Amino acid sequence: MEPQRQNSSYHGDQQSLRLRQVSSPASNQNHPHFNWNPGPEEDEVDGSETQQDLRTLGLPMGLKRAVRQVQQMKIPVVSSSDSWKLKRTKTLRTIKARGREVLSFLTLWKKTLQKIGGNFGGGVKSYFLFLRFLVVLNFFSFLLIGGFILIPSIVLTSVDTQLVNSTGQEECLEYDPNPQGLVLFYDYLLDLLSGTGFMEYSFLFYGYYSMKDSSYSLPLAYLLTAVFYFAFCLICIIVRMGTAARVTVATGGGAVGNYSSIVFTGWDYGCLGDRATKLKQNNIRYQLQVDLEEERLKQQAAALTASQKLLLYSLRVSMFFVAVGFIAAALYGIFVATEFSQGRSGDEGILGLVFEYLPSIIITAGNFVVPLLCDQIASVEKYPPTVTIILALLRAVVLRLAGLIVLLSTLWSQITCNGQTTSGECQLCQYDHKNYPCWESRIGQEMYKLTLFDLLINMATLVLAEFPRRLLVDSWSNKLTQWVGRQEFVVPANVLGLVYGQTVVWTGTLFCPLLPLINTIKFIVLFYCKKLTLFQNCRPALKTFRSTTSNFFFLLVLLLGLGIATMVMIYSVAQIHPSMACGPFRSLPNIWSIVPNSFYSLSDVTQEFLFFIGSQAFSIPLFTLSCVVMCYIIALASVYGKSVALLRAQLKAEGKDKQFLVKQYEKLRQQLQMPEQSGGL
Amino acid sequence: MGTTASQLGKDLLSEYQELTFLTKQEILLAHKRFSELLSKDERNLPNTRVSMERILTLPELKSNPFRERICHVFSTSDQKNGSLSFEDFLDLLSAFSDSATLEIKSHYAFRIFDFDDDGTLDCGDLEKLVNCLTGETDDTRLTTDEMRQLINNILEESDIDKDGTVNLSEFQHVISRSPDFVSSFKIVL
Repeated sequence: MEPQRQNSSYHGDQQSLRLRQVSSPASNQNHPHFNWNPGPEEDEVDGSETQQDLRTLGLPMGLKRAVRQVQQMKIPVVSSSDSWKLKRTKTLRTIKARGREVLSFLTLWKKTLQKIGGNFGGGVKSYFLFLRFLVVLNFFSFLLIGGFILIPSIVLTSVDTQLVNSTGQEECLEYDPNPQGLVLFYDYLLDLLSGTGFMEYSFLFYGYYSMKDSSYSLPLAYLLTAVFYFAFCLICIIVRMGTAARVTVATGGGAVGNYSSIVFTGWDYGCLGDRATKLKQNNIRYQLQVDLEEERLKQQAAALTASQKLLLYSLRVSMFFVAVGFIAAALYGIFVATEFSQGRSGDEGILGLVFEYLPSIIITAGNFVVPLLCDQIASVEKYPPTVTIILALLRAVVLRLAGLIVLLSTLWSQITCNGQTTSGECQLCQYDHKNYPCWESRIGQEMYKLTLFDLLINMATLVLAEFPRRLLVDSWSNKLTQWVGRQEFVVPANVLGLVYGQTVVWTGTLFCPLLPLINTIKFIVLFYCKKLTLFQNCRPALKTFRSTTSNFFFLLVLLLGLGIATMVMIYSVAQIHPSMACGPFRSLPNIWSIVPNSFYSLSDVTQEFLFFIGSQAFSIPLFTLSCVVMCYIIALASVYGKSVALLRAQLKAEGKDKQFLVKQYEKLRQQLQMPEQSGGL
Repeated sequence: MGTTASQLGKDLLSEYQELTFLTKQEILLAHKRFSELLSKDERNLPNTRVSMERILTLPELKSNPFRERICHVFSTSDQKNGSLSFEDFLDLLSAFSDSATLEIKSHYAFRIFDFDDDGTLDCGDLEKLVNCLTGETDDTRLTTDEMRQLINNILEESDIDKDGTVNLSEFQHVISRSPDFVSSFKIVL
C-alpha cells in the first residue's frame, strides 16, 4: 500500500478536484487512487458530502472504512447550525428515497414489463409501454370529464330544477329514443352492442345532458371540459415526445455509437434462469448480425453500377404508385360501404346489425389486407430494414386514419345534407332532422360501435387465429407448419391499432362523454390479451428494430390522430347547428356560442381584463418575449454542442500527447542505456 | 470487524447503510442469503469467505455469463480465487442496487469487462466480451469475419484518442449516452 499512497499524494495536488468526482484508474493501475491527503480547499464541513463521497468510491469495504476514519479525524466539531443542516439534508434524502420506493410500487405492471423486455426485447416492450401510457392517459381524462361533467349532471338531475324552455319549430323537437312497446330480450343485446334503445338515453351519450337553470352552467362546463381534455392530452404527448427526443438526440440518432452501446450496455443483469439468458443471448446475437448485415448491404448498394441503380429506382417508383393504388381502392370501398350503411340504417334484426357494422367491417378488412400486400411490395423494393419498417408504418397509418376520415366525412355530409343547410331535408332545422333527430348521439354511437368492434375483433383474432395456429404448429411437424411457424409479434401493426383506437375515442368524446372510461377498460383488457398471446403463441422476433427512434415515431403518429380529432371537434363546434331536441346546447345556433353568452354575464372588470389579454397591447409583447427566450435557448444549445466537439478534440490531442511523450521516454531510455553498455564493455 | 454470529449488530448495520447504497431491509436480506450459503459451524466464525463455486449457486448469478468476472472483481481475497466475504458481497449488491449512481456502475462495469485486468479494453477483452454476450458454444458465436468487423466498428465509435484500446473515460462516454444502462445493470435479491 505504501508506494501507492505516495504516488497518490503526488498526483493528489494536481488532480484532487477530479478525484473527488470519479475515482478512475490510471492506465497501469488496477485499483483506483484515493486522495489520502486532501489539499486545504477540500476541507468541507458539510458531512453529507463526505457521505456521498464514500459510497461513490469504487473501493472495497475495508478501504472505505479506513477513508471514513481519516475523514472523521479531520472534521472539526460542527456548530449547531451545521448539525441542523446535516440533519435536514439527511431527512431530505430519506424522504426522497422513500418517495422513489412508493412511486416504483405504484407504477403499473412494472414486473410484467420487465419480464416482457427480458424475453422478447426492447421493440415489443416499447409497444406495451405505449399501451400503458394510453391507459393512464385515458384514466386521467375520465377523471377530468367525470369531475366536471358527470358528477354535476348527476347532482343537478337529482335536484329538481326547471327545464329551460327551448324554442324552435315543432318538428325539430321530436325525439323519442325510448323503445316502444314490448322489447324482445335479444334486442337488449343488440342495443348494448350498438348503443341504441335503452343505452341511447343515458349518461353515455350527449343527448341525455340538458340545460338546467342553475348556478353551475352545465353547457359551458361541457364545452370547456372537452377543450381542456384535448389540451391535456396534447401536453402529455408532447412531454413524452420531449423525453423520447432527448434520448434520440443524446444518443446521436441511434445510428452512431450503436455497436458500442449494444456491446457495453446490452446485457440485462436481471435475467434469471437459463432460458431467459439464452433468449437474451440470441437476441443480442441477432441484433448484432442484423446490424452488421445492414452495413454490408449498404456498402454493396453503394457499389452498384449506374444501370442497376436506375433499374432499382424505377422499380421503387412504380411500387410506390402500386401502393398508392391499393390504398385508394380501400378508401373507395369504405366510402361506398358507409353510404350503403347509412341508407339502410332502419333495418331490423341481425341483418340490420350487420349493415350497421358494415363500415367497421370494411375498415378492418382493408387494414388487414392492404398491409399484407404492401409487405410483398416491400420485398421487391429492397430498402434497408429500418427504412422498410418506417415505410410500412407510414402506409398503414395513412390507410387507417384516412379510413376514419372517410367515415366521418360521409356522416357529416349526410347530417348537413352535403353542406347545403338551406335545402331539402335540412331546410327546417338546418340539419337532417328526419334521419338524425339527435345527430350528436348518432355520431357518439358510431364511435362507440367502432371502439367495441375493435376490441371484439382483437379478442376474436386471439381465439380463432392465434391459439389454433400455435396448436397446429406444435402438434403437427411437417414441412408446411415449419415454414409457417409460430406467430411473430408484429409491433408496428399493433401500435397502429392503438393509435386508431385512441383517435376514435378522441373524435367521439365530445358526443359520448363516458368513452374514455370505456377505452380505459378496453385497453386494460387488451393489455392482458396481448400479454397472453405473446407468452403463449409468439416466438421472439428474428429481426429487431431500434426502439428509440420508433418510440418517437409512435408518438408522432398519435399526435397526428389528435390533430384529426381536433379538426373534427372544431368543425362540429363551430359549424353545425346543434340538435334542437336533445343535449345541453339545444337552443343555440351553434355550440360555440355558449362561450360569448357566458362571457357577457361575467362582471365588467373580468370582461375588461379578458379583452385586454386578447388585444394587441398584450399579445405582441408576449410574442416578442417568447421569441427572445427561444433565441436564447437555441444559442445555449449550440454552445453546448460546440463545447462537446471541443472536448472531444481535446481528448484526442491528449491521447496523441501521451503517445508522443511515451516515444520520447523510450528514446531517452535507450540513449541512457547505450552509454552504460559502452561504459560496461 | 466482520459478521458476528447470526445477527447483525445495530451499529454495524448503520455503518453498512452509510458505506453502501443498500437500504436496511436489503442488508438484512443479504445477510440472510449469505448465511444460507455457509455451513453451520462456519456461521459462527467471523470474517468467513465463501468460495466462488458456492456463490455461483445463487440463482441471481447462476446463469449470468459474467458471473466469474463479477466474483473476481469484488473479491478482496489474497489468493485471488474469487471468494467473497460478507462485506465483499455487500459491495457487490451495492454496485448493482437500484440507487447506485451511474459513475459507480460504469466503474465496476469497466472492471468486469476488463478480462486481463490491465486497465483498458483491448481487442482481446472485446472479443471475450462479445463471446460472453452471444453465447459460449460454437454455434452461437459470431464468425471470425463478423467479429473482426464488429470490433473495428466498436473501436471506431468509442476509441476517441485512437490508441487501439478503450479506457475508462471513453467507456463512460459511451455509457452516458445510453439511457437503459442504469436500469439493466441491476441485481436485486
